[in-house]
Amino acid sequence: MIRTELVKTLRRPRTWVTILLLNALPTLVAVLLALTDLGPRPGSGPAFLSAVLADGTLFPLAALAIILPLFLPVAVAVVAGDSVAGEAQQGTLRYLLVRPVSRTRLLVAKLVAVIAFVLLAVVVVAAVAYVVGSVLLGDQALAASVSGTVLTPAQVAVRTLLAIGYITLSMLGVAAIALLLSTMTDSPLAAALGALAFLIASSLLLTLDAAQTLQPYLPTRYWLAFVDLFRDPIFWRDIVRGIGLQAVYVVVFLGAAWANFTTKDITS
Amino acid sequence: MKGWQRWLVVALGVLLLGSIPPVLAALPATESDVTASELLASVRSSDEVAFTGYAETVGGLVLPVTQDFTDLVDLFGERSRLRAWWAGPDDWRVDELTATGETGVFHRSGASVLWNYEDSSATLAADPVVRLPRAADLLPSALGQRLLSEAGAEEVSRLPAERIAGRDALGLRLVPSDERTTIDRVDVWVDPSTGVPLKVEVYGADATVAAVRSRFLEFTPGAPDPEATWFVTPPGVDLSFTEVIDVAEAANQFAPAVTPDELAGLARRSGLVSIGSLGQYGRGVTLLTAAAVWDDLSRPLRDQLEGTPGAVIDENGVYVSAGPIGLLLTPGSRERSSWLIAGTVDAATLAAAAAEVRQIPVPDR
Repeated sequence: MIRTELVKTLRRPRTWVTILLLNALPTLVAVLLALTDLGPRPGSGPAFLSAVLADGTLFPLAALAIILPLFLPVAVAVVAGDSVAGEAQQGTLRYLLVRPVSRTRLLVAKLVAVIAFVLLAVVVVAAVAYVVGSVLLGDQALAASVSGTVLTPAQVAVRTLLAIGYITLSMLGVAAIALLLSTMTDSPLAAALGALAFLIASSLLLTLDAAQTLQPYLPTRYWLAFVDLFRDPIFWRDIVRGIGLQAVYVVVFLGAAWANFTTKDITS
Repeated sequence: MKGWQRWLVVALGVLLLGSIPPVLAALPATESDVTASELLASVRSSDEVAFTGYAETVGGLVLPVTQDFTDLVDLFGERSRLRAWWAGPDDWRVDELTATGETGVFHRSGASVLWNYEDSSATLAADPVVRLPRAADLLPSALGQRLLSEAGAEEVSRLPAERIAGRDALGLRLVPSDERTTIDRVDVWVDPSTGVPLKVEVYGADATVAAVRSRFLEFTPGAPDPEATWFVTPPGVDLSFTEVIDVAEAANQFAPAVTPDELAGLARRSGLVSIGSLGQYGRGVTLLTAAAVWDDLSRPLRDQLEGTPGAVIDENGVYVSAGPIGLLLTPGSRERSSWLIAGTVDAATLAAAAAEVRQIPVPDR
């Protein structure tokens, strides 16, 4: 079942079009930086963007920081929101369930397919950005960590891989929320928009001092903690909390999706 | 399993997960029969204690000052995240973390390297005699030690213990006896094994919300890795040198005035006798600073202060308060310097200080 869903995801043109679009903005930014040699002012702009003018090999991180707040979660919400509701809308869900596979396994397979899509998208964005950054912005033998210490290329590579893994995990909460909504409606658009509304609310509450007690539990709270992988020594506190929080969102929302989907009358 | 049973399982799971944080927070801290005086003494002798830690500070002060002091506004008006490696008073590093970067101070042997990732800059500066507060000053350890350093035994009492950074911290309350201060109380929670303050809250008069709150979320006693406090200039970055570390030091070097030994009944603080245009006065948390400033610094500041809601303008100048901190700027002109007087003292004390410093002869520019 998982293999079937993975193959289905990879064969869909939409998957590759989405990944192509995710690459478009970071590539445009790299071209503009190379042409103008103008970085963002300190304290403004995405993380690492001010550093890539000196070392283009850091551009994968800047590219991920560019797509992380909006474009990546939109893509995840669309894909996850479509996973069950899309089948229902096309009238294929009841045929899917005719097979001797439990609904729980189908749900897990759908989530795994979404995670695979996120990992693929993040890896492709990072790889394209590495090539674009190295070619357009150049590189240097040693890079500075956020804390001002020296990082070797091997250290940068390992930490970039960890960042890719962390960003992929950070999307689990969005995927689980969209998947729950996808089991509650036959409209993929409604499911995707519902998940995005949740994220917008989370981002808004993060800016309010009055919402401080809620902030540790908001799904977007620790997204930017991948920057902590490039401090020296690595600051694990928020990374560990971010992973734990995403795990809680998966347990709660996937659990609710399971409770809803396994008892639902499927008519389409 | 029926439908309602599945939903019950999910609801119980949510309840279980949701109850973990409040249950952990409600775990009681172990009390101790240490007296307030003994705890005060242990704090005072803790400045040599080595540790590593992570702290968050929250400032609730909206300081009505200008672009020369934006760091100060951020420091006392916003949330700061600090990592600290503390080998001793002369060997430490404190990083202020931001979402997209970091600024760090590597301090060793009377000099500091100031690192700014987003500026890609490293600056070596000798410790100035006088400077503005910086992030490292708001670490609970530094802030608590400083605020309690001159407290009298009759000014402190015990508070219930709390769990701070996973440790049982003993509470201590300072209520200053000097009626001129605007600080109502300072609450400090102290690690009993080291004497290091782990949490500090500073309250102004009649305030229910702390003007400044600082607490460790991670704290590990013991010497940090020696390499952690040592700055090596990274490739592509030039290490620059500066003699003037901030505006306070610049004002000290360039304004032509001599401050008195006593101001508004407050004695000059020891160790700063040789400083001319800038004087610090008072004891404990009753503090006053007076500085002669030129028009290019005072003019934008005066505009800002006069436009602040609640500003009082009279013959002494313009007075504004931000929580427990009061600021008074005396009249001046392009040729004539003004006096900036600030501190944790009431308006009457600031006005008395203003009346005194205005009698000090200062040559025109």
